[in-house]
Amino acid sequence: MMEFLIVAFAATLIYLSAAHRFRVFARFMGAQGVLIFGIALLELNEMATANLVLVVAETLLFKGIIVPFMLFYIIRRTQVFKVHAQATPSFYILILNAAALIVSVVIAYTLQNPYINTVFMTVALYALLSGLIIIVTHKLIISHLIGFLIIENAVFLFTIALGNEMPALINIAMLLDIFVGVLIMGFFGMRLKPDTGDLTQLKD
Amino acid sequence: MTAVLFPGIIVRAKSIFAGRKGPGLFQPLKDVMLLFQKGNVISTTTSYIFKIAPAIGLASVLSATLVLPFGPFPALISFNGDIVFFAYMLGIGKFFLIIAALDTGSAFEGMGANREALYSLLAEPAFFILAGTLAMLTGYSSFNEILIGLYNPDNSYILIYSIISVIVLAQIMQVENSRMPVDDPKTHLELTMIHEVMILDYSGFDKALIHITSWLKFALYSTLIFDVLIPVQWDKGIQFGLFAIIAVSLAVYIGFIESFKVRNKIGRNPVFLFTISVLALLAFVVVLVLTEKMILS
Repeated sequence: MMEFLIVAFAATLIYLSAAHRFRVFARFMGAQGVLIFGIALLELNEMATANLVLVVAETLLFKGIIVPFMLFYIIRRTQVFKVHAQATPSFYILILNAAALIVSVVIAYTLQNPYINTVFMTVALYALLSGLIIIVTHKLIISHLIGFLIIENAVFLFTIALGNEMPALINIAMLLDIFVGVLIMGFFGMRLKPDTGDLTQLKD
Repeated sequence: MTAVLFPGIIVRAKSIFAGRKGPGLFQPLKDVMLLFQKGNVISTTTSYIFKIAPAIGLASVLSATLVLPFGPFPALISFNGDIVFFAYMLGIGKFFLIIAALDTGSAFEGMGANREALYSLLAEPAFFILAGTLAMLTGYSSFNEILIGLYNPDNSYILIYSIISVIVLAQIMQVENSRMPVDDPKTHLELTMIHEVMILDYSGFDKALIHITSWLKFALYSTLIFDVLIPVQWDKGIQFGLFAIIAVSLAVYIGFIESFKVRNKIGRNPVFLFTISVLALLAFVVVLVLTEKMILS
């Protein structure tokens, strides 16, 4: 079951790299939240009630429901539906993504030791690189936020890869990061867009 | 039987989704029978390549069928590397159809041939990565041996690989048979056609052969998906029932896609195709990591 969830998570990264509609981004971010919740629930076998509540709040509630809802809200308000300003064509982004997958598996194997779960390490590295690739290959700020959220998910997987415990402090810090990211995005999207009309580029 | 019924089920599914009564299951077969009774009209600008291409296409698909086992029933011909033979037999058929399209000298057919060649080129890595993964997983390179070794009780992770393979193979089937979302077989505008524009000059008997080749490819990919998904050790009676369910599900899936999705923009197709290859690469990495077959010194 665990392998199913982690492979499904990796598959969402492929589709996120190929996506060019923000609705698809929002849906896949929600799916990633639900998958991460499943992974955390199955993998973290010794968890205090408070920590469990925090993990549920962070993954299922926040990443799985609130973040996609906010993204959909931002998309509706800003009326920006498509990634029409990519620095690199989608085809090359996918090639970079495939390269990232290979690099991740090689690095995970190089770092192999009894304390690191290789499968989680591979997918976490892959998620990290995928998020970075999305950030550097897209121009619109919403895409950058998506890349940032993917990196947050990667950090979550890293903590699982390194053991069966997850310090509450890391959880809280990550929650704050996501909250600030989405909040800033919402601020940019909803405050700036109405004033700029249909201007989409600096040269306009 | 699957090949004959497959296009009929697609058409029927599409008509049901659209709320129409639609034609019967055997309508595509009746259309082909009608084409068989008609004579060929061959352009004077074409050479012998144009005449032999449909027959070679059909022969290549039939040859590929010979190496493909059906569940517990072994393939008629089996040898090491027949998985590569399978892919290249399908490739030969496509190659002849492409050069036949170029042979007509039509700008439209040349454009269609160009697109078909590009899409086949992009879909091929996905198939070969999957095939390579199968070979690595089982240690064999022949379909017969691979399928016996695939569902080894030790391979608890095989279901993950099977599910990814089914997704990838179903999408390759759509590409190889020029269906949505890569190509729209019902389009009437030559500029947006891919496969249909390549066979515009064909008529009568030759066109019937091309249609039958396409149906056989559907049956071939359905069998491949069935082989990967269903363990050979299961009861033979159940296997026939499951094959029927899988084939009908695939036909309904294609009908569903063609009813509710629009065709990709031509420029988006390479991205769609490469996504399939990356998904196959993921299957490869999953098997590599889970079987611990990677060695870094």
